[in-house]
Amino acid sequence: MGLLDALPWRRDKKAVSTKEDDLFDETFQRKLEYLALVSRRVFAGRLRAERRTKKSGSGVEFADHRDYQPGDDFRTLDWNVYQRFEKLLVRLYEEEEDLAIYFILDTSASMAFGDGQKLRYAKKVCAALAYVALANLDRVTMVTTRDRVMERMPETRGKARIFKAFRFLRGVQAEGTTDLGDALRTFVAQNKRRGLAVLVSDLYDPLGFEKGINVLRYNKFDPFVVHVTDPAEGHPRLNGDVLVYDCETGDEREVTVTAKVLARFGEAYSGYLAAIDRFCATHQVPYVTAPVDVAFDELILRVFRRGGFLR
Amino acid sequence: MIFAGLPFAQLVAVFGAVGFGVLVLYILKLRRRVVAVPFSPLWERILRDKEATSLFSKLKRLLSLLLQLALLALLVLALGDPRAAETLIRGRTVVVLVDASASMQATDVSPSRLAAAKDEVKKIVRGLGGADRMLVAQMDAMVTPLGPMTADTSALERELDGIRPTDARADFPRALRFASDVLRGIDNGEILVVSDGALGAPSDSSGAVHLGSAKLSYVEVGRSDRNVGITQFSVRRYPLDRSRYEVMLELTNTGTAAEDVELQLLGDGALVDVTKLRLQPGASLPRFYPQLSGANRTLEAKITLVDGTHDDLPADDHAYALLPERRRAKVLVVTAGNTYLEAALLLDEYLDVTDVAPAAYPQALARERWDTVIFDGATPPEMPKANALYLDPRGPGSPVKVTDPLKQPGFDRIDRKHPVVRLLALDDVNVALGHKLVAETGDKVLGASDGGASPLLVAGTRGGYRFVAVGFDVRDSDLPLRTAWPLFIIGCINWFTDEDTQYLSSFRTGEVWRIPVAGGVTSATVRLPDGSVQPVPVHEGRAVFLGEQAGFYQLTAGEQQKEFAANLLDRSESAIAPRGALSVDGRPAGPVAGFRVGVRREIWIYLLLAVALLTALEWATYHRRLTV
Repeated sequence: MGLLDALPWRRDKKAVSTKEDDLFDETFQRKLEYLALVSRRVFAGRLRAERRTKKSGSGVEFADHRDYQPGDDFRTLDWNVYQRFEKLLVRLYEEEEDLAIYFILDTSASMAFGDGQKLRYAKKVCAALAYVALANLDRVTMVTTRDRVMERMPETRGKARIFKAFRFLRGVQAEGTTDLGDALRTFVAQNKRRGLAVLVSDLYDPLGFEKGINVLRYNKFDPFVVHVTDPAEGHPRLNGDVLVYDCETGDEREVTVTAKVLARFGEAYSGYLAAIDRFCATHQVPYVTAPVDVAFDELILRVFRRGGFLR
Repeated sequence: MIFAGLPFAQLVAVFGAVGFGVLVLYILKLRRRVVAVPFSPLWERILRDKEATSLFSKLKRLLSLLLQLALLALLVLALGDPRAAETLIRGRTVVVLVDASASMQATDVSPSRLAAAKDEVKKIVRGLGGADRMLVAQMDAMVTPLGPMTADTSALERELDGIRPTDARADFPRALRFASDVLRGIDNGEILVVSDGALGAPSDSSGAVHLGSAKLSYVEVGRSDRNVGITQFSVRRYPLDRSRYEVMLELTNTGTAAEDVELQLLGDGALVDVTKLRLQPGASLPRFYPQLSGANRTLEAKITLVDGTHDDLPADDHAYALLPERRRAKVLVVTAGNTYLEAALLLDEYLDVTDVAPAAYPQALARERWDTVIFDGATPPEMPKANALYLDPRGPGSPVKVTDPLKQPGFDRIDRKHPVVRLLALDDVNVALGHKLVAETGDKVLGASDGGASPLLVAGTRGGYRFVAVGFDVRDSDLPLRTAWPLFIIGCINWFTDEDTQYLSSFRTGEVWRIPVAGGVTSATVRLPDGSVQPVPVHEGRAVFLGEQAGFYQLTAGEQQKEFAANLLDRSESAIAPRGALSVDGRPAGPVAGFRVGVRREIWIYLLLAVALLTALEWATYHRRLTV
């Protein structure tokens, strides 16, 4: 802790725990039930655990052919093809399995900026999506990250385990700096089973938000970005001569805030959001913006509509 | 440039100390408000652009510092009260003489010449320099300074507002002497006369006025000369028929055009006579009205122009006079029988005469109050409380000591100024036997024999009552056979009762009036024509008062009440044509110069205005973030 951190007005840099008691109350849980129902209606006709993976395996649905290799099971040879073309080809089937869904929650200090609204909102989003996933018999894992992977809720399955997720989320506190690249490299190393990686973060990464997403992409995870934003951060209520410091890194800058400067900051903020959107669109990464002033259940529906989360 | 406030060395010290403080404050960084942000790289993007203009920012900061130092310099300079050197050296001391004489009531400039004069002086007051001082004095029959010598323009303007016009002529020499006395020993003094120029010669009985080194300036007020005025007005009763009176008046046309006027004479407010007259330019027309009757007390003369217009000076269009009071004088004659005396008293029908023998005198005296008691050869042991005429007094009761008998005395010396004997021919009166009277201090010897060595006729005052003593028995002379005898008797009674042929029907405004009051009275009050009441001092049996309003006055002295009238009656004041030039002590008065309206000469005011302007500029640029 630096000298500046000891100043009274810097105290807010300390970890902010959200109001845990009322975070997942009965109202919240009723909304989760509703969301689970809605998700079934949206994806009607799908069976439980009928999730097709891109791995060919022992499923019943034909996927492709490939050349026979010595050692292959003769039962998989496509004799019809051999009869017609005199070529030994092996039939490939899509393997059916339950999906692994990873919730990666950013718990850096910026998520607790102000009154911690972003962190509370992120927790609710995680909880809601986890419930839907558990209700669909998917395997749900939760991790929190800062500049490294911090805490982990082991893989779990079944709707009844949602309370385990609640407990885990309640214990989460936000502090420290953000380094998604490093943290997610650790994450992919720890989780061999590939699956859907839902990254819930404000993407305030001094080293670049792209790094973390790219780590997931390069390691065959299916990244799904939920970008938690606070619109008020785009229009800070500042005026006059101020010393601004970064709540994570403590970097300081002297700024004389004028209406002109505020307008330019607003433009920079919008530009930053646009850059994230553009990056995700370019790399076909599902991306949802989660402003904290939007009701979380409405956001979850938006996630469903956006697709990529439930298949 | 010199500093009238703090000296230059102190100003430099103050600027150095405070300027150093300002510099230190600029060097010390202002502690900024610390604000947390969630993601500082966003701010850095903006600040990168701003850093490109950091040189300009430094320049702006330097400009801001220079601006503060400039503000400080202006304030410090203001503390020094800088003034142009010539301003201080040429600071003037001005005595303004505002003419408030009757001619300044002329309405040829609206609303009046006096109001225009005040406006002119106010303009000059507003143009006073920082080092100039001024004293305003009202110039009429007196000179009245309206305040102290001051540079306070608002006080001067208030003083000017207090000037009121009078119906008197201006005493110009006195005013000039006052002004030159005020400016004696003062450099760069200036006398400013604001008038229509009808001021008369600048000299009096003491000689011509010398102004010394004081500069004389003149502001002329007025433009027209159209005026017809009453320049003489007098009235008197006939001595032997007091029910009738005669009036003499004079009208003067001081303008340059002939005027037709209507003259009205009013007695006790009722019209007595109306006459239409034509007056040529510059002409005076005397009018005499004999054998008038119908008025008992007041008489007024008014003139109006026949064509319905008004001349420019209303103050001299109205004149006032009071007729001597007409009442029966009660006369007690103590005599053993004197046909000559009784015959003389019969001539005046307004005398109520009672004859008593000397033995019955005490009872008659006690019975009622007498205006006059005549002792014919009988002298009471003590003087009565009444005016008394003693014919051949004797004994200790005589008001004057009676000494040696005189054989065939005559009136070798006569006091022609005394009202009792003024009109009498006593020089050749033959007296067989008389007695020398010894006049006391304060008594007047009206007639004396032996070249003045043996007084025969003495007048004086005893115990507040007048007396006349004749040192012979009139029957031992040929005086009763002469016309002078009844006139002497009536003259004595008139003198006793103030019904004097020299009675003044009106006083002239602007002069000191000495009005006789009853003996023993030490103070009196006078009610002026405008209704105000003023105390007046009583000196040697006369109330002394300088009146400046035309109209009827009422004097109250003890139980006694007297009325009298006052008029302007001044041809020089009626001549209202403004004089374009004024000359005093052989020096012509110059025009007013150097009083520029609206320009203040105190530089510190402009310095403070500049500070205010710069502060407003700094405020505006700061709030628009131009200088931060």
